[in-house]
Amino acid sequence: MSEYTKPLPIPSVESKPFWEGCKRHELLLPRCNQCASYWFPATATCPGCLSTDWEWARSSGRGRIYSFGVYHRVYHQGFRNDVPYVLVVVQLDEGPRLVSNLVNCAPEESQCDMPVEVIFEDVTEDTTLYKFRPLRQS
Amino acid sequence: MNNNLRGKYAIVGVGQSKLGKVPDLGSIGLFTVAAKNAIEDAGLSKADVDGLITRGPDDVYCHHQLVGKALGLNVTFSTSTDNGGASQILGVAMACMAIDAGLCHTVVVGYGRDTWSRTHRSAEAKRLVATRDESQSNREFGPEFGQFGAPVRYAIAAQRHMHLYGTTKEHLGAIAVAFRNHATRNPCAFLREPLTIEDYLSARLIVDPLGLYDCSVFIDGAGAVVVTSAERARDLRHPPAIILGFGFGNRLKGWFADDNMITTGAREAGETAYRMAGIGPKDVDTVQAYDCFTHMVLLQLEDYGFCKKGEGGPFAASGALESEGALPTNTSGGQLSEGHVEGMLQILEGVRQIRHEYGPDRQVKDAKIALVTGHGGNTVCQSALILGRQAS
Repeated sequence: MSEYTKPLPIPSVESKPFWEGCKRHELLLPRCNQCASYWFPATATCPGCLSTDWEWARSSGRGRIYSFGVYHRVYHQGFRNDVPYVLVVVQLDEGPRLVSNLVNCAPEESQCDMPVEVIFEDVTEDTTLYKFRPLRQS
Repeated sequence: MNNNLRGKYAIVGVGQSKLGKVPDLGSIGLFTVAAKNAIEDAGLSKADVDGLITRGPDDVYCHHQLVGKALGLNVTFSTSTDNGGASQILGVAMACMAIDAGLCHTVVVGYGRDTWSRTHRSAEAKRLVATRDESQSNREFGPEFGQFGAPVRYAIAAQRHMHLYGTTKEHLGAIAVAFRNHATRNPCAFLREPLTIEDYLSARLIVDPLGLYDCSVFIDGAGAVVVTSAERARDLRHPPAIILGFGFGNRLKGWFADDNMITTGAREAGETAYRMAGIGPKDVDTVQAYDCFTHMVLLQLEDYGFCKKGEGGPFAASGALESEGALPTNTSGGQLSEGHVEGMLQILEGVRQIRHEYGPDRQVKDAKIALVTGHGGNTVCQSALILGRQAS
């Protein structure tokens, strides 16, 4: 396997459990035990009701593309062979929106409100990234 | 109601540095040249200045202190603001509030940046631009997916707007073309070659749906204004631009939250500013809008009430923004063509239009009221300033 040349996430104190979840191929979201809302990324207090009583809950990993942009300019050499690539904002069924990439889908096939599901890519020994692909109708 | 400051304060002096490629000056040097020119334009001297509000480059600690030192100033009020491109109007508003509180009498507000030189001066500068993370706080949930640079936020917003309302690239292109048309009459503009819609549509893509001419141009440059009481302004050199209203809307939950990329905080900024000024969008003769990207202009045309939500595209494409149109907008060429100094030059253009300083090719005929807007700080901060020839 060739060397991974893209930036790796630098977890914060708050996000460390999220990235550990990704390594187990689980997409975790903070869920408030008081008002039951989900949010992302994790913060000490629920942005809905300011409760500090919350826990990590596993997301369905399903959602829809809120919107997206297709990178043609290379800003980072690690992405030189990837352009054009799709940066998506996915709205999960639980509510929160995540920035990620759309994979297994040509840029011109991408559409707002398209149903998607999470997949995981183990990019290094220590890091697993969450990405999204079109939801396969079963 | 919150109209107690309406008409009490004015911008009495404006100044700018050389714009474009100014490799012999850094951002502080550019700022001090603009400040000197603004003080002289007002017919005042340095001894009259007892307030200073700056917005520094993000990596400079206590920016106002460095500027004040370079200008040789002791003041009774100074600070640096932190709302990105919404900061420059915030500075003007803070000047009014500080004077009203009796803290000072005459305030210099300004901003300078050496963006062209910082990014082109050397091979090392170019390499840093190509590789560095745009936001130092962006350590996760972005760069690992290839999210770099400012255009993507506006590209994503434009994509959603197109999905909801049928907005097209031609609509966005009309904004770029209109502002370039204005820039051909501005000797200080960085880009002065005429631009056609065909040029716009065939330009290279940056982050689709945005291409090269959807993006503002990085330059070296600075602008500064002098704010004092409307009463004092009567004795000064130029007709004052009376400050009729200002307002802010900061949707701190974020650009990607709720529908904040569709309806922005400009709605609240406008409502507050219009209420303070006692006017509505129909009373505005010219707009100097924060145009980091074409799509941000389109959103603001809607949010400041010049057309309905979703109709910004057809409104822009109708020719309304041209100097002969219903709402002459960014008559300097704006940041898309004159050059990007984080909204500071939009305030200067608003003042000069209100003064009726230009010849017929650039002057908005009989301009009585100008709306100037700011925007920035991870896209969530909006600011509005209403200037008038008369106090009411």
